[in-house]
Amino acid sequence: MFEREDETVERVIQHLRRPVAIDAGLDARVMREVAQVPREGRRGRPLWPVLAAAAVVATVLVARPWNRTAASKADTLQFVLVAPQAASVALVGDFNDWDPARSPMQTAHGAGIWATVVRLAPGRYRYAFLVNGVEWRADPNAPAAKDDEFGTPSSVITVGGRGS
Amino acid sequence: MGIHKVEPSDAELVRRVRAGDTGAYGALVSRYRDRLGRYAVHMIGDREDAEEALQDSFVRAYRSLARCDDPARFGAWLYGILVNRCRTTGARAARRRRMFVRDAQALDGAAHADRADRLDWTDAVDRALARLAPDYREAFLLKHVEDLEYEEIAELTGAGVSALKMRVKRAREQLQKYLREAEHV
Repeated sequence: MFEREDETVERVIQHLRRPVAIDAGLDARVMREVAQVPREGRRGRPLWPVLAAAAVVATVLVARPWNRTAASKADTLQFVLVAPQAASVALVGDFNDWDPARSPMQTAHGAGIWATVVRLAPGRYRYAFLVNGVEWRADPNAPAAKDDEFGTPSSVITVGGRGS
Repeated sequence: MGIHKVEPSDAELVRRVRAGDTGAYGALVSRYRDRLGRYAVHMIGDREDAEEALQDSFVRAYRSLARCDDPARFGAWLYGILVNRCRTTGARAARRRRMFVRDAQALDGAAHADRADRLDWTDAVDRALARLAPDYREAFLLKHVEDLEYEEIAELTGAGVSALKMRVKRAREQLQKYLREAEHV
């Protein structure tokens, strides 16, 4: 009796072990989706922002720098971020090769208000805030960059009326 | 002698992906698609839902590749993601639909007597598997079909080894019972 039952289960197992045909298009669908989704760290930004779960209140106080469209050859812009629990904040973007060392923000006003000033030539730039060296933050009040090939949150600023 | 193609290891592919070579991820997808697909199809019971779960698992793994602590064990890590994804897909309508689906293609090459018998057998197995509790089905498939060790299954599922052994034993008993019932219908 037991022998027969074991045979039945073994037959089930052999049946289930046969290959199952998976849609050949699945690979392409995965790769299409992968090309569009953010992942924790990609070339050019060797950081893992999503891992950082620090609760940081991030608000830009500066007077809407992304709306500056003056025809001047370069604008001096101040970026301000409220991040009371942050130990460090850096402004990173196309204008500084996304290098956090080039535009560190200072807590000049205390209470977690971080600020930095950069001078930008006319053009369209993508940028973000890097909190504690690991957490990418888009500017919550600025237009989001939809063409960020790195997949991490970023925003767009247009200086001098060019770009969009 | 001659030229031998050496497939890159999982660790090497993961390293390349992390360095920005998205294409290397395609090699990992191709490597694990069929095996993980088989588990998803048997666990969920509906091919379309299973492929959706599989696709979603691959994408989730890509997003979270930084959390793969041991790239050499990428496969096991990916299995864990799929096991969880299959759980959340749950029993839903998929398993009900399965009752009426016969996948003739999957029967090709079967070693049983004739086509009608094969269809009957496939249906009987599908129905019996569908009647198992999800945690029994999960343990049974991982142990006997995917051939994992209990310790590996414990790592994937979070269940203890003794609990898993009990689930597999019950699954075997119930499968026998359900198939016996099917013989007498």
